[in-house]
Amino acid sequence: MTAPGVVHVPFVTPDVATLVQGMTGRTGRRHAQLMRAYGTRIVGGVSPKSDSDEVEGFPVFKTCIEAVAATGAVASVAMVPPLSVLDAIREAVTAGIRLVVTIAEGMPVRDAVAALEIVRAAGVRWIGPSTPGLAIPGKLKLGFLPDVSLAPGPLGIIAKSGTLSYEVCHRLVGRGLGQSLWVGVGGDPVKGTRFADVLPSMLTDPHTHGIVVIGEIGGSEEEELAAAMRDLGCAKPVYALIAGRTVREGITMGHAGAMIQGDVGTIASKTEALTAAGAHVFTRIRDLVDAVAASVGNAKGEQACN
Amino acid sequence: MMLLEHDAKELLAADGVPIPTGILATTADVAPPASLAAPFMVKAQIAVGGRGKAGGIKRAGSVAELRHRLGELLGKTIKGQTVHACRIEQCVEGMECYLSVSLDATQGHLRVLLSPEGGVDVEAYAERGALGSADVAYNEREAIAAASRLADIIASPARETVVHAAERLITEFFAFEATLLEVNPLFVRPDGWWSAGDLKLVIDDNALIRQPRLCDLIRHRADAYPEMALKLDHGFDFVVVDPDGEIGLVTTGAGLSMQMIDELAGRGHPAFNFCDIRTGQLRGDPTRLINVFQWIAAGRNVRSVLINFFAGITHLGEVAKLLVMALKAVPELRVPVTARLIGNGYDEAIAVFASAGNPLRVEPDLDRAIELALAPLTGARP
Repeated sequence: MTAPGVVHVPFVTPDVATLVQGMTGRTGRRHAQLMRAYGTRIVGGVSPKSDSDEVEGFPVFKTCIEAVAATGAVASVAMVPPLSVLDAIREAVTAGIRLVVTIAEGMPVRDAVAALEIVRAAGVRWIGPSTPGLAIPGKLKLGFLPDVSLAPGPLGIIAKSGTLSYEVCHRLVGRGLGQSLWVGVGGDPVKGTRFADVLPSMLTDPHTHGIVVIGEIGGSEEEELAAAMRDLGCAKPVYALIAGRTVREGITMGHAGAMIQGDVGTIASKTEALTAAGAHVFTRIRDLVDAVAASVGNAKGEQACN
Repeated sequence: MMLLEHDAKELLAADGVPIPTGILATTADVAPPASLAAPFMVKAQIAVGGRGKAGGIKRAGSVAELRHRLGELLGKTIKGQTVHACRIEQCVEGMECYLSVSLDATQGHLRVLLSPEGGVDVEAYAERGALGSADVAYNEREAIAAASRLADIIASPARETVVHAAERLITEFFAFEATLLEVNPLFVRPDGWWSAGDLKLVIDDNALIRQPRLCDLIRHRADAYPEMALKLDHGFDFVVVDPDGEIGLVTTGAGLSMQMIDELAGRGHPAFNFCDIRTGQLRGDPTRLINVFQWIAAGRNVRSVLINFFAGITHLGEVAKLLVMALKAVPELRVPVTARLIGNGYDEAIAVFASAGNPLRVEPDLDRAIELALAPLTGARP
């Protein structure tokens, strides 16, 4: 079912040809193998300094341009240190990559702003920084979302926090509820893809029957999502968990974006906006899991009977 | 993170930004130097907005009154933060303007706000249309040009002074990779003199890696910025959220750690700390775990420790070995330890703990692990 006025653009396709930038590093090498084992079509790696043209069975190229020319890759997962992320994005975009995922934590805001300009100008989708990535469970994983929390199912997941989303999804999977699409947007203030950017494809995706939002204090993404829910006429149930009720103002809690400044970024503001837009907002994991299991779980059951 | 006003001012003053003469006081019995004469402003050094409205800024007409005001402010809790120090400043006079430059994280743009009226009620000026606003690309030249345009509503010669001040301040904003710089009031006089009456500076934690002056400041003032000083020294996050907290947390992942604190608070038990230890970075070294256990052991009211590792990739058998080593290295931690572990290598972890005489209890379910960890506090039988 497609909402009026919404153009269906799939976030990612399961068989997307994917590069790993930073392939020969410790992290890149390991996760390239794990992603391949999960089913992701990793077609090669990029490593400017590597002497070898092959790693773990993957062809390795000096530049993204060479890699794209040789493999036809359209997605890239950059496994490079935080101060190299901007260059990795610039190189990927120049080479024609259309979707780039950057997992590194600690990318400076100035670099993120510059990266945002680059991807916007080129119309490239950027997921990150500071994200475990995204997945179409059972088919594709770009990043390192843990297998124990992944299962195909009816839920669209949008999360700022990696670990909190692992926990919530693990419990939902335990209740028989997997995911149609899982996008970790990351915990930084300036990022390539925000909560509201993911909403349209989840609303139009016929496999998504409910949306679970893992938010936290700081920034305004939850409020932006609430506005998008109203603008798009969100007809699917949205369940949100917002962490950080007990955080005091002015202190950063692990994520660079998780800081309250004055009235901006407070739990009250986020809860109010999301509730007004029709979302169900929870403070305890157990309550969210129970509510999702009760409604989406039952709806699925009815559909199966029909 | 937000710098304290005193540090932000001294930092920019070192680059030649004019500020009112001032000193930092941590006790009430101060003897101001000759360069600092009455009347004074006494300003609580806490990292929150709306300090003035919340009673954190006072005026003192004499040294006696100054000491009295310091006595009132020091140790007081304002907007949830304890006042450990006050900045004592010379009162200055002049036209009071407002200038701020901030990052709009949603758009990746800068917002420049400028008003010929400064003070505590900026929102009210905005409603009256007295607050000029411009959104520009994240670019020093464009931000300065925007401020210059916004200053057109100010009559000369103050206009030229405000433009000059804006140029200097925006240069500093970029030099330190700030995400917010607010000067309110920005004092301006007809003779071209100006001064940053109050200064709020929020810096990008992720940029510290290439901001040596900010790193030096944080290390030098580690008492004022314990969380960031710790992160610079140890490479991970540990924040004491409640010195009287009952539960020490050893957790990985910022979001899950915040949620754990919320879940404990929801059950009526304050956590002692936030912790994002990053298990993926341990790499066979128990140092981080030893540090965290030591810091938790120092919590005067900690009665239970809860470990929660949702290991996506990290092998739990390896983590278990490190936990055993770390617990042995911190004998002063005498409270019960509960570990919620989930991920690859769970059975090996159980075996590692068993062969070490089970120094902690393991539980794979988070809610049950929380109940176990709370049992010593509630007297409940787990």
